[in-house]
Amino acid sequence: MAEVAIGIDLGTSNSCVSIMRGGSVEVIPNAYGEATSASVVAFREDGEITVGNAAKANIIHAPSLTVYSSKRLIGRYFFSEEVKKARAICSYRIVEGPNHSVRIQIRDDQYSLPEVSAMVLKEMKAVAEAHLGQTVTKAVVAVPAYFNDNQRQATKDAARIAGLDVLRILNEPTAAALAYGFGQGLTQKVAVYDLGGGTFDISVLEIGTDVFEVLSTSGDTFLGGDDFDDRVIDLLADEFSASHGVNLRKDPYAFEKLKVAAENAKKNLSVDDAVEIRIPGIITSESGEALSVERHIDQGEFSSLVMDLVMRTFKVCDEALQSANLTVRDLDGVILVGGPTRLPLIRKAVGDYFQKSPQTDIDPDEVVAKGAAIHAASLTDLEQGAYLLDVTPLSLRIGVAGGLAETVIERNTPVPIEQTRTFTTFQDFQERVKIRVYQGESRQAEGNERLGQFEFASFRKARRGEVEIDVTFSIDSDGLVLVTACDRATGQQASTEITLSSGLSESEIEDILERGDTDRVQTASPEDVGSAPSADATLEPEADEDLLPDDSEEDLEELDDGDAIELMAGVETPPAELRGNTLDMDEPEGAPDDPVPLETPAASASAAGAAQDGAAARDAYLGDAGSELAAYVDNDEPESK
Amino acid sequence: MSDVLAPTEILALAKILDELDYYQVLHIGTGVSATDVRQAFHASSRAFHPDANRHLDADHREAIARIATRVTEAYTVLRDPKRRRAYDEALRDGQNRMQIAEAEARAEQQATVELEGATPNGRRYSALARQDESRGDLTAAIRNLQTAATFEPGNVHFKNKLQQLRAAQEAQRRGKKGFPI
Repeated sequence: MAEVAIGIDLGTSNSCVSIMRGGSVEVIPNAYGEATSASVVAFREDGEITVGNAAKANIIHAPSLTVYSSKRLIGRYFFSEEVKKARAICSYRIVEGPNHSVRIQIRDDQYSLPEVSAMVLKEMKAVAEAHLGQTVTKAVVAVPAYFNDNQRQATKDAARIAGLDVLRILNEPTAAALAYGFGQGLTQKVAVYDLGGGTFDISVLEIGTDVFEVLSTSGDTFLGGDDFDDRVIDLLADEFSASHGVNLRKDPYAFEKLKVAAENAKKNLSVDDAVEIRIPGIITSESGEALSVERHIDQGEFSSLVMDLVMRTFKVCDEALQSANLTVRDLDGVILVGGPTRLPLIRKAVGDYFQKSPQTDIDPDEVVAKGAAIHAASLTDLEQGAYLLDVTPLSLRIGVAGGLAETVIERNTPVPIEQTRTFTTFQDFQERVKIRVYQGESRQAEGNERLGQFEFASFRKARRGEVEIDVTFSIDSDGLVLVTACDRATGQQASTEITLSSGLSESEIEDILERGDTDRVQTASPEDVGSAPSADATLEPEADEDLLPDDSEEDLEELDDGDAIELMAGVETPPAELRGNTLDMDEPEGAPDDPVPLETPAASASAAGAAQDGAAARDAYLGDAGSELAAYVDNDEPESK
Repeated sequence: MSDVLAPTEILALAKILDELDYYQVLHIGTGVSATDVRQAFHASSRAFHPDANRHLDADHREAIARIATRVTEAYTVLRDPKRRRAYDEALRDGQNRMQIAEAEARAEQQATVELEGATPNGRRYSALARQDESRGDLTAAIRNLQTAATFEPGNVHFKNKLQQLRAAQEAQRRGKKGFPI
């Protein structure tokens, strides 16, 4: 049988799988005939694991054993804001794993996020296999454009655990544009407005017959349909507490009921003018009386609850348009992606903002999976091609002295690209530099996501500022980042591929594959799935090499303890800006256990001393610059903002 | 450019890449419009997109990747009028590659120089406008810069600066009266 490749939209709330066959693209329904399956994993009492819409029903009975919205956590550090937020609202237990990774505690077991996502992906794979009657091992998986490198890597790892060879990680808006424009012979400029369960993305593209060029992309990873639900939950819970004096949030069972009701209300408001929310007997009062929630919400009230959230999306749209050097009048169309965009209030607001009605003929829940399937087909078949010219959604930066991060490649730069910036040493006769790689839009290093770091020592030793080190970032069309450092004078080089931090090391992934935990997943499909090739089907051998080079994680760990030395950006960082102690980004707040790296070589402390106060800095200043690293180690150095 | 290059041509092109300027990389003339630049980028991308060439052997794929990267590099500089002007200047001095950061820095420098004006009267009134601006007198700054612009009707930086000053004035006015409806 011919080899096939599927397209998967691994959504925060729902996932969808699609395939291109015989020139047309179709969504593959699950065993119940549904186009999308909930991205929910339920760990049942009998040890079985169910995924999909059946699992979602489990939330009410066993909230702590049902994992949902895990996409919000994938590829994140435990100390990140997003994880903190999730811990506050999620009914399952989120705990800290090795290297500040995130784990989900289910009874006595801990699961990494790639493992949980792998269960969802496996379900989608099984759905496709049952429908097609053949093994599927190749897929294009769509992720939000605004996903950083860590999140993309983690998603790749998830696919690998699920037994899928990822042909490409595709940006959701790009996929949507493909589904909209592929084979249509259009020449248009379009905006893709993607409001998912947990994230908001906007991309501006130019669509040609066979070339899809992303002009700009922007997003907000803290904004999605779930936030709309939360507004309704808050309303109901606050009113309930005011009238009955009972906090529904404190009772997991009641809270889950409330959540389900709020989500349903939102969904119904996509179709109806008003909804009646009724949750009879949601909780029993202290006097033993069964209390109920009853509330009428119409479009107007719902609008006023969420309008500020909608307005926030347009701020992001402003950014994207500005970055593409366009105005709304230059656009030919607006494509909607994501369930929440069904809401009339969103459609109206989008229409007002873009001064044109959005496209409504493609299902916003299916458009991404369809686009992914189109791309998957063009990557397995040379004939039917559409070339995607994508951009890098986030700036790539290098950590420099003073806790700052200097941009090497700006966001919205087309890829593949290579850019070089020249840096210099910070200290006389400095022997090593630590090259830290960040992704994000903050000038402060700690405001960005750390992708990795490596040490470069093969340069000539000279006075500070005399050594010129060219640091080159290259991003290939798969989005892989390669960083090379080179001493201009000697031509000596060192480089590293940045593929890191899914929270899992290579050996951990192998362990997971060996243990086959995810095999306990009971597909929600009927018997014929059982006869379809089992989910633990072949892993493409070459996939092993694509992911997580063994040494990358070690680099990070080793160097944390090392005597890090700062780079100083050639021209862009005037000494006046160098603040205080060189801060290490390895120690974000909430991670106090991290070994505080020995920092602040004498010379850097002297520069710091000029700007800051402190006896320690003075000592360092008086110390012998360029000798051993000064004894000055500042342990309690919260960076002054 | 033809869409398909013979494998030997790919290797040859990758080899001489450093000798080509960005216009040659994109196969266009130095005077072409922004639209032509974009179209050339699309055409080159069709020919050199790694996806379209993944059936080739490793050497050729590497060559293709190098060419594709340079094509994007050329495009990121030439598609932006400011960067393109900066590049053109450097190209006249024999520099055929330019990092984006350098292009931006150079463009800024060019802008500063040109904002001072090229004619005696242009320079004089532009200087007055700068003084007015630093005093916070936007109305006078706008008047003087308008005068400067009459001596140098082709100076885009005067125009940009004027726009900027008018926007600032508008913002100031709003700040005082609240947002006009």
